[in-house]
Formats: sequence, C-alpha cells, structure tokens
Amino acid sequence: MGKKELKVAFFLAWRSLIRGNRSSVFLNVLIISMVFTNMIFFPALIAGIGQNITRQIVDYRISNVLVEPKKGNDYITDLDATLDLINGMPGVERATPHYTMGATLKFRGRIVGATTNAIQPREETYVSPLYRDMVAGSYLGDGDRGEIIIGSALAGSANVLEADEYVPSLGGVRVGDSVTVEYVNNFKRDYRVKGIFTTGNYDMDSSVFTTWADMEEVTGGKLDKAPYITVKVKPGYTDQFVKTELLQYGVMEKVQTTSDVISKGMGRALESFSIIGLVSMMVSLVIAVVVLFIVVMIKTLNNRRQIGILKAIGVEKAVIMHSYGFQVIILASAGILMGFLFTGLLVVYMTYYPMVTPEFSATPFVTASDLATNGLILFVASVIAGYLPAWQVAREKIQDVMRA
Amino acid sequence: MIRTHNLRKIYRMGNVEVKALDGVGIDIGKGEFVGIMGPSGSGKSTLLHMLGLLDFPTEGEIEIDGIDLGTLNDYQQTMFRLYRLGYVFQDYALVPELTVMENVCLPAMLREDRTYEQNREATIDILKRIGLYDRRDHLQGELSGGQQQRVAIARAIVNKPDILFADEPCANLDTENSRMVLDLFHEINEEMQQTIVMVSHEDWHKEYFHRVIRLKDGVVVEDTTT
Ligand SMILES: Nc1ncnc2c1ncn2[C@@H]1O[C@H](COP(=O)(O)OP(=O)(O)OP(=O)(O)O)[C@@H](O)[C@H]1O
Ligand SMILES: [Mg+2]
Repeated sequence: MGKKELKVAFFLAWRSLIRGNRSSVFLNVLIISMVFTNMIFFPALIAGIGQNITRQIVDYRISNVLVEPKKGNDYITDLDATLDLINGMPGVERATPHYTMGATLKFRGRIVGATTNAIQPREETYVSPLYRDMVAGSYLGDGDRGEIIIGSALAGSANVLEADEYVPSLGGVRVGDSVTVEYVNNFKRDYRVKGIFTTGNYDMDSSVFTTWADMEEVTGGKLDKAPYITVKVKPGYTDQFVKTELLQYGVMEKVQTTSDVISKGMGRALESFSIIGLVSMMVSLVIAVVVLFIVVMIKTLNNRRQIGILKAIGVEKAVIMHSYGFQVIILASAGILMGFLFTGLLVVYMTYYPMVTPEFSATPFVTASDLATNGLILFVASVIAGYLPAWQVAREKIQDVMRA
Repeated sequence: MIRTHNLRKIYRMGNVEVKALDGVGIDIGKGEFVGIMGPSGSGKSTLLHMLGLLDFPTEGEIEIDGIDLGTLNDYQQTMFRLYRLGYVFQDYALVPELTVMENVCLPAMLREDRTYEQNREATIDILKRIGLYDRRDHLQGELSGGQQQRVAIARAIVNKPDILFADEPCANLDTENSRMVLDLFHEINEEMQQTIVMVSHEDWHKEYFHRVIRLKDGVVVEDTTT
C-alpha cells in the first residue's frame, strides 16, 4: 500500500461522497454528531452537578477541611486555644467555629422548625461567601445582639399559599420583623430579622444564623466549645497538606478534607451517576457503530458488481477497502466536528439557562480531555464499523461479486 | 502470446456437474483480433474469464507471454491485470460517481510507471480519439450506451495493455453503435497491433475478426482464420 494507492482510495471515497447521495451523507454526519453530543453531554452534566454540589459543600458547610471532635465526644473543647493553634499554621487561611442548635421559629401564627447556626460573623467572611448572599437587609456584625439572619426559603413569601410551599416557611418574614425562636433547650426569645439570604441550596436557605454572643446567652455562659470547625485553605496549598499538618501539629480531633467527606457521603450517588453515564455512552456508541456498519454494508452490497469491476481492471483490494474506509473516516470526522459544535452550543445555552433544582443549579462541565477521549473512541469505533463490511466484500472472489 | 492446454472448468451445483469448459487448447498470437463465438451456454464467457485472470480453471494451464498464470499469487494477479490486461464488459461497468476523464485515467493512476502528466496526456489522447473529449467532464448517467461503451474501451486501452478482452461489448447496443465500437476495435488493432479477444454471438461481427474460435458445450468445434 503506497502513497499512490492511498491517493486513489481517497479519490474514490471523496468522489463517492460528493457525487453520491447527499442527503444520506448529511444524515450520517448528523447521527454521528448526535451520538457524540450524547456521549459528552450527560456525563458533563453530571460532572457539572458534582462540581456544583462540591462548591456548595465547600462554601456553606465544611469549607476545605473539617475538624470534628474525636469519637465519643460531642464537642471540640478548649475552642479558643484550638482555633489559635489552627490559625497559626502555614496554609491555613482561617478556621472558624460553628455551633448549631435546633429551634422552633414562630411568626404570625406560623411555626417552623429550623437549625440555628451560631457563627463569628467577621471571621466567617474569610471562610464562607454567605455575607455576599444577602438579598435583603444586611449580614450579621460581631457586635449584634438579639438579631438573626434567615434564609429566603424559611422567610417565605406572603404571596404563596402555605399549601403550595415546597418547604415550610414563615409566610413572608421581612427585614425588621420580630421572630420568636424557641431552642431545644427551652430558651426562648424574640429576635429582630437583620437580613435575608439566598444561596440556591434549600437546606441552607431554610436555616437561621445568629452571632456567637447570642448563642452564649442561649447556652448560658462562655461558649468555649463547638461541634465542628471549618478550615479554609490558603491558595497554593492543598486540602491534604493542611489535613496532614493538622494531624502532625497534634490536633487530637477527627480531621477530614472535603473530598474525604464527599466520597463518604456522596460516593454512592456519584458512582451510580457515573454508571448511568457509562451506559448512556455505550448505547450511543453502539448506535453509531450499527448505523455506520449498515451504511457501509448497504453501500458495498449495492456496489458489489462495481467492486468486482474495479478488481478486474487491476485495482488492489486494499485500495477498494480503503476507499470505503476513507468514506467512513470522512463521515466520522465531520460528524464529530459537528458534535463539537452542538456540545458547545448546548454548554453556552445552559450557562445562560442552567438546570435548577432545589439542591443545586448546574451547567455541564466539559473538559478538552473529555472531548478528545470521546471523539477518539467514537472515531475508532466508527472506523472499525466501516472497515468491517468493506474488508469483507473486498476480499471476495471477482467472479462472486461480479455476478451480483 | 496466449496458450492454453487442456483447459477445464467444472461448476458443481449440488450433485449436478456442469462442464463449462471441457478441454480447451488454443494458441493466440500477438496482434490477433480473435472472436470467440458459439451458442449461449457454450462456455465463451468462462473461457474469457480464465484467459483474463478473472477466474481459475479446474484443470489445465494458461500461459501468457510465457508466464504460467497458475503460479501467480493474488497480488501478482492484480498487478498482472493492471499492467498487462484490459477489459470491456457488456454493461460498460463505469464508476458512476466519476467523470468520463476520471473513469478513463483511474487504472493508470495506480501504475508506478506513469506520472500524473503522462496519464493525463494519454487520457486526453484517447478521449479525442474516441470522440468524447468534449464530454470529458460528464458523468456516466449523462451518456448514451454507445458513448459509455466507448469510455469503457478507452479505460481498457489507456494503459496500452498486451491483451484487450471484451465480453459481448455490443450486446446492449444498436447496430450503428455496435459498428462504432467494432470500428474502434479494428482501428486500434490495426494501428497499435493491439491483441484483442472478443466474445460475440452476432454472426455479422465475423467480418471484423481475423480469426473465429467457435465453442460448443465447452469444446472448440471450429478455429478458422479469415
Ligand atoms: N458460476 C457458475 N455456476 C454454475 N454454472 C455456471 C457458472 N457460470 C457459468 N456456468 C455454466 O457454465 C456454462 C457456460 O457458461 P458461460 O457463461 O461461459 O456461457 P456463454 O457461452 O458465455 O453463454 P452466453 O452466450 O449466454 O453468455 C453454462 O452452462 C452455465 O450455466
Ligand atoms: Mg457469456
């Protein structure tokens, strides 16, 4: 198989595509592009959802590294000293304590249960973007007393009937309103709503934040303990680095990175997602392979006599085989390119109109390596599917194909 | 040039044996214009296919230019056909997606001993000669049967083959077009000493042949030089 032979094979392939049935060429390209889009899109959407969930967990729950009490303890004790120790370590941007307590909120006849989070407002701004999520009023200040900020889902809207609500709400709390909070330890007090926030996560948007000092009033006395500490890692350091460091510095608590937590909590869900993605990709691939196989099969069957003639006049069987192979290569390449385009358009569209659910809002996350890998897989599968029937007919005896 | 000895071809269909060729020995010289004639089913096409390396005898030998065709492997056979043989079929057998020009130069494109320019020049020459130069960019579907067959002949002889084989090239043509094709054969035979082996069952074609080999039931029953 020399250059001349390949040139002739390509020449035959190109002519056959250009002067043959145009709509069939277009349909083939379209199918391959759809298959490619399907291969990329679903896994990319899942990756996007995964990223979004991870971001929410980092932003609003545990930041980069989570420090919890050792087994058997409910609280990290000696909180101030522990925070000072962690904050002094290289790679740590900031460590902040969280203290949570269940409570019942009452407002104009509505009663809703919610988690109340006590934070150190100034410190927390280094760790969580919550202060940027205020949609009404303002974020807490360190000196605030008797004030809370609440999530917009919990605040609710006066315009939505209670029966129509997705999650229970207080039915339209506004900044400045007074809400009665009764904690599980029976401490009860009215708080002024200082601000309302929206994060996009319903759990978060159904919760309440108050200052550390206000919580000390609830628990009675100085609060030098916390159920967990969130640690933000400085840019340029890895979560793992800080985790190892914390353990080496003798923080005697349970330390986990975000990915530790996610792989425990969400591992199963992500696993099933990736299985679904894999199945969907396999189905797409099979469709592409079958379509191309049939297309080339029909082509070769229709052209059996012509293939015989070409062999008779001295065209090598390899040239004939490659002439069909090249047709598939051209179709597959064009289809994959068109698939790139479709995927791009979909991603752009979903960037402006993301998929929104109560838990997350997601846009597909496509990487260059995803495009390259899937493009290559589809290409190789297509070429095999095309070459198989071409090889089969090209090796038949001249008399057998000519008589067709 | 072509010599066969005791050539047999037996087709087996279940229990039935068809002796398409039953011991054919012929000797065709260079520059001859030979007609193979005989009734339908007498083995004309079968013989031509054996001689043209398109099929293989059950028994017996074929020698072309001293080369025993039985000794060639698959690739060598292909190259033998490409470099030394030309074919014209009853149904023209052009590639429908190629233009007249492209069809004619296709086999020559694969030859190592032809440059692009040589190939192009030879193709243009031959197209002028068969009177289809101004149709060079047309597709098969835009030509009449006679024109298509002339293109097929051009494709067969553009490589200047040692032997030109033709299996009933006029079967689908009217008398006028048949004459045109036969005249063309006659000319290239005269001018270029082109050896031609042609199958026909039209009696009036005889006037064009130097020699008629008549088959019946797979054996030669007449071999006359006119
Ligand atoms: N592939 C085959 N399988 C079985 N029998 C065959 C095959 N090819 C040819 N035959 C038989 O061999 C005999 C000779 O066939 P061949 O095609 O050579 O005849 P022909 O002289 O060319 O006839 P025609 O003038 O009709 O073209 C016939 O009896 C035919 O039926
Ligand atoms: Mg015949």
